[in-house]
Amino acid sequence: MIQKKICMIGASGVGKTSLISKFVHSMFSDKYLTTVGVKIDKKTVAVDGAEVMLMIWDLEGDDDYQRLQTSYLRGSSGYLLVADGTRQITLDQAIEIQGRVTAAIGPVPFLLALNKADLVSQWEIDQSRVDDLTARGWKSFKTSAKEGAGVEEAFVELSRQMIQPP
Amino acid sequence: MQRAARDPTEEFEELRRLLLSREREQLRDLKDRLSDKERRSQDIASVLPEAVKMSRERGEQLSNALRPAVEGSIVDSIEKRPEIFVEALHPIIGPIVRKSVAESLRRLLQSFNQSLEHTFSWRGLKWRWEAVRTGRSFAEVVMLRSLVYRVEQLFLIHRETSLSLLHVTSDPTVSKDSDMVAGMLSAIQDFARDSFATGEDSALEEFRVGELQVWIVPGRHAYLAAVIRGNPPRELRPALEETIDTVHVLKGTALAAFAGDASVFESLRPELELALRAQYAETKKEGKSTRAWIVILLIAALATAWLILALRNQSRWKDFLHRLKEQPGLVVTEARKGWFGQSEVRGLRDASAPDPAGIAREAKLNPDRIDFQWNDYLALDSASVKRRFEQRFSVPDQTRVAINHGVLEITGSVPYEWLDRVRREATLIPGIKSVAETEASIVYDPELARKRFEAQFGLLDTVNAVVANGVLTLTGEASHRWLVRARAAATTLPGITSLNDRVIDLDQRAFDQSKSIIESAFVYFLTDKDDIATEGFAALSRLPDEIRRCEKSAKQIGLDVTLEIQGYADAIGTETRNADLRQRRANKVRDFLVSCGFEPAHLKPLGVEQPFTPVPGDKATPEQAQRRAAFKVVTQPATPAP
Repeated sequence: MIQKKICMIGASGVGKTSLISKFVHSMFSDKYLTTVGVKIDKKTVAVDGAEVMLMIWDLEGDDDYQRLQTSYLRGSSGYLLVADGTRQITLDQAIEIQGRVTAAIGPVPFLLALNKADLVSQWEIDQSRVDDLTARGWKSFKTSAKEGAGVEEAFVELSRQMIQPP
Repeated sequence: MQRAARDPTEEFEELRRLLLSREREQLRDLKDRLSDKERRSQDIASVLPEAVKMSRERGEQLSNALRPAVEGSIVDSIEKRPEIFVEALHPIIGPIVRKSVAESLRRLLQSFNQSLEHTFSWRGLKWRWEAVRTGRSFAEVVMLRSLVYRVEQLFLIHRETSLSLLHVTSDPTVSKDSDMVAGMLSAIQDFARDSFATGEDSALEEFRVGELQVWIVPGRHAYLAAVIRGNPPRELRPALEETIDTVHVLKGTALAAFAGDASVFESLRPELELALRAQYAETKKEGKSTRAWIVILLIAALATAWLILALRNQSRWKDFLHRLKEQPGLVVTEARKGWFGQSEVRGLRDASAPDPAGIAREAKLNPDRIDFQWNDYLALDSASVKRRFEQRFSVPDQTRVAINHGVLEITGSVPYEWLDRVRREATLIPGIKSVAETEASIVYDPELARKRFEAQFGLLDTVNAVVANGVLTLTGEASHRWLVRARAAATTLPGITSLNDRVIDLDQRAFDQSKSIIESAFVYFLTDKDDIATEGFAALSRLPDEIRRCEKSAKQIGLDVTLEIQGYADAIGTETRNADLRQRRANKVRDFLVSCGFEPAHLKPLGVEQPFTPVPGDKATPEQAQRRAAFKVVTQPATPAP
């Protein structure tokens, strides 16, 4: 079985941990996130008939107090960039983080997950901004950790991109 | 000069030849090269290495294209000429196999040594007690107490991606997810490195968690994480470094090109398993040697003790069988000694034979551990017959018995009653045909002899019987009939040799009294007449009753009685007259008695010529004395009744 390391990256409080907690086999407690700054989970997804085992590194949220530890990104085959759909600023942060990640590990497949899709009434992110990103080649998914919508699809799509021959 | 007009085609051809002759030459050369197979091969050979290199740099397409052909040709080659591969692989596989076998043997030997040591040592016993007390398994306690160190798990982790390539463990029950553990180990290293801002080349080498240590052994593309219990020696690190180097030698290319497929590293498993080594606390060699000797001596002592016990048991068993065979009435047909379970004895047993369990006890064997199976039979040997006789007749102390060809020989002092029973019943016992008692001295119990007499004759209240020294002494009084019978038969009874008879015969006494009364009675007559004088009537009137009594008692003693009536007359008158008178006087009395009912045949009237001799005390006058009739009782043996 093919193994791939991926990272969950995004600003604090965008729901990275929640996104994966319902879909993976957890061995380590969330406490690791605040102590070591990373928690590792595992999930196997089926992509076009092949199985891919994803080692998901859930990195601590990037904010003013805690900068992203880029050493954790090393060896990642891809990453999920997570933003909170109800907070416009988290998309800006995500875009900024993406730049830093690319600088650290080069261009690898990634997806933008616009989380908290279930909170429609509080949605702040302007679709035109998303369209701009799409025009730049970004692929985005609306996800809901609460309802589970779009999460599996996001992981499968990321896996597909990672195992495609260059 | 005018040149002749030329065909334009020729001219063009000429021009082409002038302008392109070099290119045409090259073209021809190229054509030759393409059509010449040999030259084409040379050309490809010169560019192929470079072409393959470029293709590999582009991707896996060339590998993928070549794989089926290469694999097919390898399989085909192995099938057809395996020896080539054997020779080629021998230098690699040989040492690996040898190393693996040696390691397995070393572990087996170590495990055996430990088992021996722990089983027979005080420490072993102590650990066993600790295992009981703490509820842990003995193996676990031994491991914890004797382990110096043990490499329990090894992770081969890809440096770049932090993915687990291979995980081996000495304990198959370890179920932690190696992939996530590998990831977290990498994360921790990154964390440590970032936190303390050390360089990229520096790394976390080891950390300790309780009884466990984790050693990180870096390699170029992958590193080893060894989970070690106990206190590993420093020498372990070079060994692990050798392992990671070997991994890189064998799979360097695959490690460099790792893209997520860890299955190619599965072939490294034996190599990593060799690194799962352990070391246990060793004891001094002398100690081991001493212990080994103690064990050997203990085993030898036990074996000797067992042998002695076995020999003793065998000896007792033989003794027991001998005793059984010697015993009359027991025939052993089959005997089997059970060394660890029940022994068995089968055979025939006479009812009189002694209990075999008792014989087993005499031979110091436990009868409960012997299964006896006896069939009944009748033993006719002298000893069995004798025992059978003794069981039925308890033989008195002074008496001796023997069986000789079916004859029961009795000697010694023998009580009559016991002998009497033996005479009657001995021949009922199988094996006894007759009884010989001629040598026996029979003794009689006086009381029993007396009882026998009593039973025979029915002892009267008036008679007292005592037996002493064979003499029966009878006192008291009894009827004549009883007395006659007793006198006649008493000495025929066993235990009575003679009779001392001091019994009064009541019937004889009554007869004697009656006879005396009758013979002292007188009937007086008147002078010269046969008329009875007055004083004579008194006597006459009492006479019939007395005669009847006399007759009755005479009959009791076996006599018939005839009453002689004697008539007397005085001397006055003539003899003839007196003779007549005497007869008539006797007849007168006879007639009187006949009239009283007596048989005339039993009355005999006689005239007595001689004068009556007065008896002393006779009060009659001399005259009166001769005028009388007197009586005489005459007896003769009674004639048997017709």
